[in-house]
Amino acid sequence: MTEMAVGVSFRPGELEVRPDGSGNLLGSRCGSCGAHFFPVREVCSGCLSDDMETVGFSTRGMLYTYSVVRQSTPAFEVPYALGYVDFPEGVRIMGQISGCEIDEIGIGMPMVLSLEPFGEDEEGNPLTGYRFSPAEGIAQDPRNE
Amino acid sequence: MSDVHILGVGMTRFGKHPDRDAADLGAEALRGAVSDSGIDPRAIEAAYCGHVFQGMVTGQRILAQVGLAGLPLSNVENACSSGATAIREASLAVRAGEHDVVVAVGTEHLTTRFRGALTPDPSDPEAAVGATMPAVYAMRATRYMEEFGMTREQLALIPVKNKTNAAHNPLAHFRDKITVEDVLESRPIADPLRLHDCSPVTDGAAAVIVMSKRAAKRYGNGRAVRLTASALRTGTVDVEPTSMTFEPLTWATAQDAYERAGIGPEEVDFAEVHDCFSIAEVLRVEGLGLFKQGEYPAAVERGDADIDGSLPINPSGGLLGKGHPLGGTGVAQVVELVRQLRGEAGVRQIEGARVGLAHCRGGKAVGIEGAACTVQILVR
Repeated sequence: MTEMAVGVSFRPGELEVRPDGSGNLLGSRCGSCGAHFFPVREVCSGCLSDDMETVGFSTRGMLYTYSVVRQSTPAFEVPYALGYVDFPEGVRIMGQISGCEIDEIGIGMPMVLSLEPFGEDEEGNPLTGYRFSPAEGIAQDPRNE
Repeated sequence: MSDVHILGVGMTRFGKHPDRDAADLGAEALRGAVSDSGIDPRAIEAAYCGHVFQGMVTGQRILAQVGLAGLPLSNVENACSSGATAIREASLAVRAGEHDVVVAVGTEHLTTRFRGALTPDPSDPEAAVGATMPAVYAMRATRYMEEFGMTREQLALIPVKNKTNAAHNPLAHFRDKITVEDVLESRPIADPLRLHDCSPVTDGAAAVIVMSKRAAKRYGNGRAVRLTASALRTGTVDVEPTSMTFEPLTWATAQDAYERAGIGPEEVDFAEVHDCFSIAEVLRVEGLGLFKQGEYPAAVERGDADIDGSLPINPSGGLLGKGHPLGGTGVAQVVELVRQLRGEAGVRQIEGARVGLAHCRGGKAVGIEGAACTVQILVR
């Protein structure tokens, strides 16, 4: 894969993008009971503690379910695949699916976070967002190891 | 705790109303409910108006149309449960003894607000990556098919059933019966869901008059129906991922309603449930405990949920057939319940109906299983 220009995170509070193109989805970890949440929360829904720390989640998870969206808002070109990925911390996060054909997608697939160009800001600067890709295909890319 | 009754009910035709607005539609529904109740409109003491996208003071615009401006009124928004929430607020005002006669109206002119798929609020992280409401339900359908072996054809039987019922409902958005083939050949929206699996963008309004036992005795002539429970819950933030093929929020709200009504799911004779999508009807009836998890698709195939089946679901045509004007939806469900319980549902009449249940749920916010859910139980 060739180097791509790294844009600013499309939603900095939810996705951290580092200058080397790596990054993590961000959420909260409860210092009292250990529960994790996406996105960042001020208070833990499990124990109501406000001892919450912002953490980056693992980049690998498992596809819980998915759909191929064929009608959407003008902001999104159809079709695109959308899925929920379960991460080891105990959070389920929605994202688009990339890096494979639509008919290769299946429940239970191992997935990896993939930082990708994701639209532009109001001044036309490129933004970086995330998608989830099948883990096998991407695992050979050293940038993601 | 005093009993709450519903006497008058009214609704507009559901469909596309290009020449009217949400206040006009609400006024027609309200006047219909007053006329149905037989009361003098000046007996109404307070009002609640449920809507989602109609702008500020929509309820006041309705009251101005019908000559009732001056009453205490609150506009309530709870996404697709807005109208049902208005009924709950009206019932609480009566239960509390504050008022004897209260109107709840729900309205929406959705065709001027939305085209195509509804989406969560743009600020939502899931909306930012392309979530639409059909896509969220499509993902639940994908998972349900994997876990319980439901076939695409079984799922198609739900819009077929509901549009068959709507064909017999003169106020429904859709009046044409469809076949399984029609469903499977309709335009794909979000796999596996197709156009006929999705409720339409509908304009419409409905109203009901909620009253105390004392007022029902005075005005009712035996036509009032008891609202024995009107439960409302909001979804909790998941501490860990939960199954998307079962609805803890629907379950918990239903338990509140069953307890309040002193009625269990086995005593429910029929139900109007929030079938915003075909798969949604499956998740609702199983979450309500009306059918065991994983068993509803086969029950539909057997005809159990038909109007002449053992437990009719969505005899009005549901959201899929009757239409889904967000604020109007929950109120229209109760209109159907009242008409069925009074034996006034014409060719859609369920023989011997005594206990009816209405279920709404709406709204999507990241990390929350569902935003707002209502379950109401009416008894003849």
